[in-house]
Amino acid sequence: MIWVTWRQHRAQILVTAAFLALLGVLLLGSAVEAGLYVAGHAPPGCPGPAVACGDLAAALERRYDAVYSLFGWMPLVAPALIGAFWGAPLLGREYERGTHRLAWTQSVPVGRWLAVKLAILGGAVVAGGLLLSLMVSLWRPVFKAGADSSFGNIGVFNMVGVDPAAWWLYAFALGTAAGALFRRTLPAMALVVAGVTVTMFTLFRLSDYYAEPARTELSGTVVLDDGDARLVSAAWVEPSGREVADPSDSRCPRRVDAGQSSRNTEAWQACLFGKGYRFAVYYHPPSRFWRFQWTEAGILTLASAALGGLAVRRTLRRSA
Amino acid sequence: MSSALEATGLGVRYGRTWVLRDCSLSVPAGRVAALVGPNGAGKTTLMHTAVGLLRPAMGSVRVTGEAAFVAQDKPLYESFTVAEMLAFGRRMNRRWDDDAAAARLAGLGIPMRRKVGRLSGGQRAQVAVTLALAGQPDLLVLDEPLANLDPLARHEVMRSIMAEVAERQLTVLLSSHVVSDLEETCDWLIVLNAGRLQVSGDIEELLAGHLVVTGPDEASIAGTRVVSASRTGRQVSMLVRGGPPLDPRWQARSPGLEELVMGYLRSPESAALPKPAGVGS
Repeated sequence: MIWVTWRQHRAQILVTAAFLALLGVLLLGSAVEAGLYVAGHAPPGCPGPAVACGDLAAALERRYDAVYSLFGWMPLVAPALIGAFWGAPLLGREYERGTHRLAWTQSVPVGRWLAVKLAILGGAVVAGGLLLSLMVSLWRPVFKAGADSSFGNIGVFNMVGVDPAAWWLYAFALGTAAGALFRRTLPAMALVVAGVTVTMFTLFRLSDYYAEPARTELSGTVVLDDGDARLVSAAWVEPSGREVADPSDSRCPRRVDAGQSSRNTEAWQACLFGKGYRFAVYYHPPSRFWRFQWTEAGILTLASAALGGLAVRRTLRRSA
Repeated sequence: MSSALEATGLGVRYGRTWVLRDCSLSVPAGRVAALVGPNGAGKTTLMHTAVGLLRPAMGSVRVTGEAAFVAQDKPLYESFTVAEMLAFGRRMNRRWDDDAAAARLAGLGIPMRRKVGRLSGGQRAQVAVTLALAGQPDLLVLDEPLANLDPLARHEVMRSIMAEVAERQLTVLLSSHVVSDLEETCDWLIVLNAGRLQVSGDIEELLAGHLVVTGPDEASIAGTRVVSASRTGRQVSMLVRGGPPLDPRWQARSPGLEELVMGYLRSPESAALPKPAGVGS
C-alpha cells in the first residue's frame, strides 16, 4: 500500500519537495548574503537599536522585502495548491477514471486503502508545512533582529509556528472530501480554492476573539508602542472616564485634512489630550503568539478531522 | 455441489429506484455462468454488489473465497507501466502469482515497460484480465469483458479465461448482452430483465427442458406451459417448457441458446428458476 500511495502521488510529492527545496536554497542564499553584508558594512554595535544602525536596518529591510515579495503569497496560495493537487485527486480522480472499481476490489479493504493514503499523504503535508515554517523562522531573524512582526502581520503569522502545517492539512482534507462528494477532480479543485479563501478570511475575522483583548489608555499619542500587536478596536475616554467612539462635545475644532497631510487631525487629537481626554486601545499583545497559533491550529485540525471523516464515510457507504 | 456465488432476496436501489429486486440465485463452483439481459436490466448492479462495490438495500450476496473483478471499461492506471500494474496487484492482494502473470503477458506479446495509456483496447483487456487472474481468485467476475473488442481480441480474451478455468477450480460470472458471445463457453445461464431474475440454471438442462413449437394459429395449447409466443401471419411459434402440446398439429424442435433467452426476455412474467428450497442446494 505504501508503494501504491507513493507511485500514485509521487508527482505531487516531488513537485512540493522540489518547491520547498528551491525556497530553502533561496532563503539560505539570501540569509548568507545578508550575513556577509552585515559583516562588511555594519558599524560597531550594529545591528541594534543605536541611531548609527539606521542605514544598515534600511539596507536589510530592502533585502528582506525583495525576497519576501517572492513568497509572501504562500499563506493563501500554498494551501490552495495542496488541496487542489494532493486532496482533490485522491478520490476524485479514482471516481472520474473508474479506477476505484479496480482499487477497491483487491484483497486490501477499502477502509485500509483510504486510511493508509490519508495517513501517508496527510503526514507528508504536515511535514511540508512544518518545514516551510522552520525555514521561514530561521530566515527572518537575520533581517529582523529586535523588531519582530510575526504576530501582527497575518501573512507572516500564517507562515511560522504550527499554522502552515495546520493550513496545509486542512486544505488536503477539504480537497479529499470535495473529491468524495463531487467524484470529479476539477470541481473539487475549485471548491478547495474557494473554501481555503473563505476559511482564511473567516479565521482572520474570528482571530480577534481568540482571547479577551488587552486594554491600555494612551495619552499624548494614538499610536501603540508595540508595532507587533494586533489592534482590535479603539475609543476616546472622556475626562469623566466614559468611553465614547466620537468625542463630539469636546469643543475641539476638527478640520478636514487635505491630501496626504494629517496636520488637522493631529491638532484635533492634541486638543483632546489637552482637555484631559485619553485614547483607549484594545489589542492583542505579541506575547499571545503561541496561544493564537494553537487556537488556529486547533480549529483547523478539528475541521480537517471532520472533513476526513466525511470523506471516509462517503467512501465506505459505497453507492454506484 | 457447493456454490461459489449465492444471492438471497437481493435488492439494490439507487435513491428511490429499485434496480434489482428479490433476486435469489446460486452459481455452483467450477461453472462458467453467463449473465445476460438487455441494457439496464441490472447486470452491472448485480456484479458490483457481488464484489462489494455496492451495498444491497435488502437481502444478501455471498462469495465463497476470493473474488476478482474486471469492470466494464477495464479500469487501469493510465500513467502506470504494465510492470507497475503488476506491482500494484502484488501489493494489493494476499495471494499473487507474479510469474504466471508475467508469463501470460509475455505470451501475449504485451511489453512490460509500456505505459498502460498506450496499449490497444485488446491489450488493455488482457492486462485487466491478467491482473484479475494473478490474484488466484475463486470467483472471477467480468462485466462485459468482450465489449469494444474486435473479433480476434474477443477470441483471445475468451481463450485465456477458458484456459484458466480448465486448469483449476475457478468459477466465472461474465455478463454480455450479446448471447452469441457466450454460446460456446458458458455452461450456466442467468437471465435478468428489468431488475428481476428470470432464468438461473444449467444450460444443457435448460435447453433439454424447453421446446420451440410451431403450428397454426387455432391449434390448442393444452398440455404445455407456454413461456412466450410470436405470430407470423397464421403461424405461431412458441417457446414452451416441458413436453410439447397435445395437439398433433404442433411441430417441435430443440431451442438454441439465443432462442431460449429471447423467449424469456419477450415475456418478463415468465420465469425458470429453481424452487425456493432448491436455491443454494
